[in-house]
This record gives sequence, structure tokens and C-alpha cells, in this order.
Amino acid sequence: MRALLFWLLLSMTSAVQAAPLIQPVMMPVGAGADAVAVSTARMVGAVLEYTRWPEPRSVIRLCLAGTPRHAGRLEDVQLASGAALQLSSLTVAGELPMGRCDALYIGRLDAALTRRLIMAAHGQPVVTIAEDDPNCRNGAMFCLLFAPRTLSFQLSIDAVSRSAVRIDPRVLRLSKGGY
Amino acid sequence: MMRSPASTPNSAMPTLRQVLGRVHMRLILFAVLMAGATLTLTGVLVIRGYADRNLALIARTVAYTVEPALVFDDIAAVRHGIAAVAVSESVLQVDVRDPGGHVLMTWRRPGGGVMAAIERGISGLVAPSPALADVRRGDRLIAQVSVYGGAEGLGRFILSGLATALACLVLTLLATWTLARRLQRDVTEPLARIADVAHAVRADRQFDRRVPNSDIQEVDQLGRDFNALLDELRDWHRGMVSHNRMLERQATRDVLTGLGNRAMFEQTLPATIARADAADAPFAVIYVDVNRFKQVNDTHGHDAGDAMLIVIAARLRVVLRPDDLAFRLGGDEFALILAPGVTPDEIDAIKARIASGMNQPILLPNGESIEASLSVGSARYPHDSADARDLLRHADAAMYAAKPGRASTRDR
Repeated sequence: MRALLFWLLLSMTSAVQAAPLIQPVMMPVGAGADAVAVSTARMVGAVLEYTRWPEPRSVIRLCLAGTPRHAGRLEDVQLASGAALQLSSLTVAGELPMGRCDALYIGRLDAALTRRLIMAAHGQPVVTIAEDDPNCRNGAMFCLLFAPRTLSFQLSIDAVSRSAVRIDPRVLRLSKGGY
Repeated sequence: MMRSPASTPNSAMPTLRQVLGRVHMRLILFAVLMAGATLTLTGVLVIRGYADRNLALIARTVAYTVEPALVFDDIAAVRHGIAAVAVSESVLQVDVRDPGGHVLMTWRRPGGGVMAAIERGISGLVAPSPALADVRRGDRLIAQVSVYGGAEGLGRFILSGLATALACLVLTLLATWTLARRLQRDVTEPLARIADVAHAVRADRQFDRRVPNSDIQEVDQLGRDFNALLDELRDWHRGMVSHNRMLERQATRDVLTGLGNRAMFEQTLPATIARADAADAPFAVIYVDVNRFKQVNDTHGHDAGDAMLIVIAARLRVVLRPDDLAFRLGGDEFALILAPGVTPDEIDAIKARIASGMNQPILLPNGESIEASLSVGSARYPHDSADARDLLRHADAAMYAAKPGRASTRDR
């Protein structure tokens, strides 16, 4: 009974607190030559942490598309689940090889090609992360937002709903704009 | 009813009502304290149990909520997450530490000041130790959350318990007062009635007073025994009074003739003088002497003399009016007091009747009969003298003057 009350209270306050929580996650970016790359790797790792595939992956295949600027430290990502990260670059830009990618990191790429890639990923168990789309217009699930000292992201719930992967709802609250 | 000082109860001693009230007070106080202590203890234990579980739940919730923020390495988001969860007023402080034990963030309930410090102190004493929860991502320990609970629930409970105890104390006082009153009505008042009767008997000799019945067995028994005792006392008192009366008669009556004796005469004379003075009415004293009584004694024996005296006494009594009195002063000497208001003519008439009463001879026990004559002398008050002694002398002199053969010696 008390637990029920508590949960009621909690949900109420969450609803109340949701409004001021529009401030997105602010991952600090340290100093150094590749500080942004380190933070990017960490952000991508966190996103992968909270992504669930229909079948658990022992190896997560991260495909890089376009020209990534901050992907230099992605190979350092360690996942808590113990899954290994396998990096590969797309051979043909704008062509998503079916069943060969679990995650797609899109660097600088032509908008039309980007949209094609993302369209191809619809309904597939692929989590899409856009590096160079601050307004999140191209339909990626996660869009990285680079600020001088911090790194944050925006999450498109529409894109998440079209995908076969599931994102932990707690991550929604950390997204820019909040949910 | 005035009580003599000897029967005034010692005011330092407690009354029965006070004793009863004290006993009631202790009994009820004991019961209230026992019930209160038991309930408070049970309540504190139960509430502590709830608080423990509540804190553990909050700790787990905080851990779940802040986990992504920690993974994304955003302390501000961690703070927001905690604030959203720990808004329940039972949380005072939340600490988040990394696996190495370093504090990543501390969240404290906002506001406070002195009250918050006091609350923290109380919670340190009574609240459960902080609830801990691990923040894990897979098998990896990311952080540890400690939630410190407030003592508000317990404090409120203890405060309300104290208020209830106070209310109970007031009720206790009222109940004690009422019960003591009722007991006083049932016990003390019957006892007071017995005491009243005892006092009336002792102070006013009201042996007819009786203790009424009581509804309490012991008191009723006491009242009954007391009444029986009063019965015996009354009988004893009556016996004593009649015995006293008999003794008084013996002291003031002449045994032989039944007339008053000299002692009674000496009491009656001043009383009569006082009555005469008060009523302003004269009275008279008559002395009577039996002539040649010694000869009768010597010739016929003392029995004959006694019989003669008895007959003379009876004849003297006959001539008197209802209020007049006759006395035998000793030997053959008699005195009469004629009640106030007597006239000289009446005195003469009475003297004449005395003389004529002796005309008949007196029959002695041995069958003989002898003639007897009396010498009579009277004195009137205040005509002859206003002094008792002088009045008697006057009567005596008159009597001697009336004796036949005045030169002859007095036969006594």
C-alpha cells in the first residue's frame, strides 16, 4: 500500500519535474588534442549501453558512414555487457549492407545519401547516430551536439519508434528537449 | 452540631476520600503508562520498519534513475534525477559515490536551518542507518547511492504519543475525581453517619439515635453492631438512672415514715423561700413534737414508739394540702412546710385539724391503744422572720410555748 502510494507520488513528481528537465545531458569535454574524440567515444558507448537488440549481441558491429570527424577513439569503447565492438567503414556510401551492421555512425555525408541510409535502416535492428546533423533533420535516432566545452545529444523518438532496436526510456530524459 | 475539640479529627491525617483518590490515581496512572509505553514502543518499531523499507525503495529508485546519467557522465542530470525521486519528505540527504568511495554528488533536502539540524540530530538517533543501493551496468559497479532518512514520521508519532499521554493524564485526573466522589458517597457517608450518631450519643446522651442501613456489607454490619451496642448502652444508662434515683430517695427520705428527712427539709426550705420571694406570696413552717414520746418508748417498747410515729406521720399527711410537705426531722420531731400563698386562717385551720386528728387513740401492734398528743408551733414567712434560721427558731419557740406544762423537761 505504502509502496503504491510512493509510486503514485513518484510518478506525479516526475511529471512535474519533466518540464524543467529540458536541459539536455552535458557531457564535459576535457582538454587535449583528441578530447572531443574521447568524449564522442564515451557518448557512443553510453548510447550503445542503453540500446537493446532483438537478440543480444556478443559483438556489436559499428559501421561508419561518410566522413567522421570525431570517431578517432571509438575503438576504445568498453561495454559493460562485455560485448566487443567491431568497427567497419561502409564500402559503398549510402548503401547499408543488410545484416552486417548493428549500429551506424554517420559522419559528414550528403543529406540525400544520409536519408537513404536511414530509410534503409527503418525496421532493421540498427541504431543510427548522426555526427553532423545538429538540427536532426535527416531522421537519425541520435544526433550529437558539439558545444565548446560539452557534448550532448538529441534523440528522435520518431526514429526510435521506426527501428527494431529499443532504447532505454531513461535515456529519453537525457536528450535535448527531453521527453 | 458543635464538636468538642477532643473529637476534631487531626487535619494532618488524610481523609478516606483522599486515600481512595490516591489509590485510584496510582492505579489508573499505572495502566495508562503501561498501555502508552507498549503502544509507543510497538508504534516506533512498526514505523521504523516502514521507514526502513521506504528508504530502501527510494535508494533503489534513485539508483535506477541516475544510472543513465552516470553512464553519460552528467552530474547535473544525476542531481535532477535525485531531486525528482527524493522529493518525498522522508529523505534528508542522498550521497552518490563512485566505486572507489569518492563522493560524486551530495544532495540535501533544501531549506531547513535550525529545524533541519535538529531533525538531522533526531534522525541520527532514531532513524534507520542510510539505505544503500548499488548502481550497476551489467556486472560493473558504477556507483553507490546512500539515502539518509528523516525522523519526521517518528518525530510526529512520538509527539502525538506525548499529546495523547497528556490527554490521558487529564482524563485520569477527571476519572479519579469522579471515582473518589462516588466512593465517598458509597463508603464515607455511611461511616460519617455512624460517626455522627456516636458523637450525638457521647455529647448529648441521645441514646435513641440509630445508624441507618447501608448498601455495603461491612459498613452495614458495623452499623448493626453499633446499634446493638447503643441498645445495651441505653439499657445500662436507664438502670443507672433508676439506681441513682433510688439512692437519692434513700438519702432524702425517712425510712420509717416515708416522709422527707432533715436533709431534705434543709434543701426544701431555702427553695421554698426563693419561690415565695419570686411569687411574693407568704408561706409557713409548722413544728410538731409528740408529747411524752419517751414514756411510750420506755413503757411499750421501741416497736410501739415506731408504730406510733408511723401513724402520726400518716395523720399529718392527711391534713396537708396537695402542695404542702411533711418531714420527720428526727426522733419525735416533725416539720411541715405550707406552700406559698397560705393565709393565717388556713394555718390555724390546719393546726386545728392536726390537733383533732390526734383525738382518736393509736392502736399499737401488741393490741393496746394509747392516747397521743402533739405540740404544734408555727412561724410565718416573711411575717415572723425573713431569715430561714430565725424562722425555724420562731416556730420552735412557738411550739414550746404550746407544750402542756411548760416547766416540764423536754421528753425526747
